[in-house]
Amino acid sequence: MDCVVELEIPARPEYVGIARMAVGALAGIRPGLAYERIDDLRIVVSEACTSAIEVLGMMGSLRLRCVDSPKVLEVRIEAPRAAFESVFPAGGDAGPDVDSFRISLIRALVDDAELRSAAGTTELCLVVHRDGASDEDGGDLPA
Amino acid sequence: MDLGLDVKERNGWAVLSVQGEVDVYTAPQFREQLIQLVDQGQRSILVDLEGVEFLDSTGLGVLVGGLKRVRSHDGDLALVCTQRRILKVLEITGLTKVFTIYESVDAAVGGAGQG
Repeated sequence: MDCVVELEIPARPEYVGIARMAVGALAGIRPGLAYERIDDLRIVVSEACTSAIEVLGMMGSLRLRCVDSPKVLEVRIEAPRAAFESVFPAGGDAGPDVDSFRISLIRALVDDAELRSAAGTTELCLVVHRDGASDEDGGDLPA
Repeated sequence: MDLGLDVKERNGWAVLSVQGEVDVYTAPQFREQLIQLVDQGQRSILVDLEGVEFLDSTGLGVLVGGLKRVRSHDGDLALVCTQRRILKVLEITGLTKVFTIYESVDAAVGGAGQG
């Protein structure tokens, strides 16, 4: 069974910690993600939210939709497309600066990261696969 | 979310110990502290990351900015770090080749570097 957790945070620096804390806690509910991989996911969520906040200029909000299934945890972060241009630069890789560090970390620390666009907004979709999970796990959460 | 910053003098080094989470919210304090050290004339700065619980690219940017600033005054900025999670971030971004990284403050002020 998939479980969906949605979170909306003000697009302000002080709320980025809330986003990564929530995603980190969710990632640890089911088995199959070692602490180190949860830590990696927290970094990537922080990178994505920071990128969006820098572009949004601390206006508005960021929506995170986490879809937690026995095999995969997917974190979708919705924002205007420009918010993720530093993550997926149109002209290729960024130079040796914070943006290039961000790109390197996102690429290295999750199993998949892709942009999905529709109707003026873009979702940055971050995927991590759980180890050792099978279809028979059924998705039941611990009591 | 608090960031702890503490500066001590050790054998000619300004040792800046950082505690807590370094991200887009706390990085400005960290940046300001490094700028202040350079402006005060410190040319050998050691940033102790052993108390850091989280570090992302914003924090890396502060470290690189600090290094550039102090090098422009013929100084240097080195790190103390043994935490696997922080070293991993430095390795992925290629910064283990940029910074001298020590295993302890004592090793640094005694001059025994890893990197």
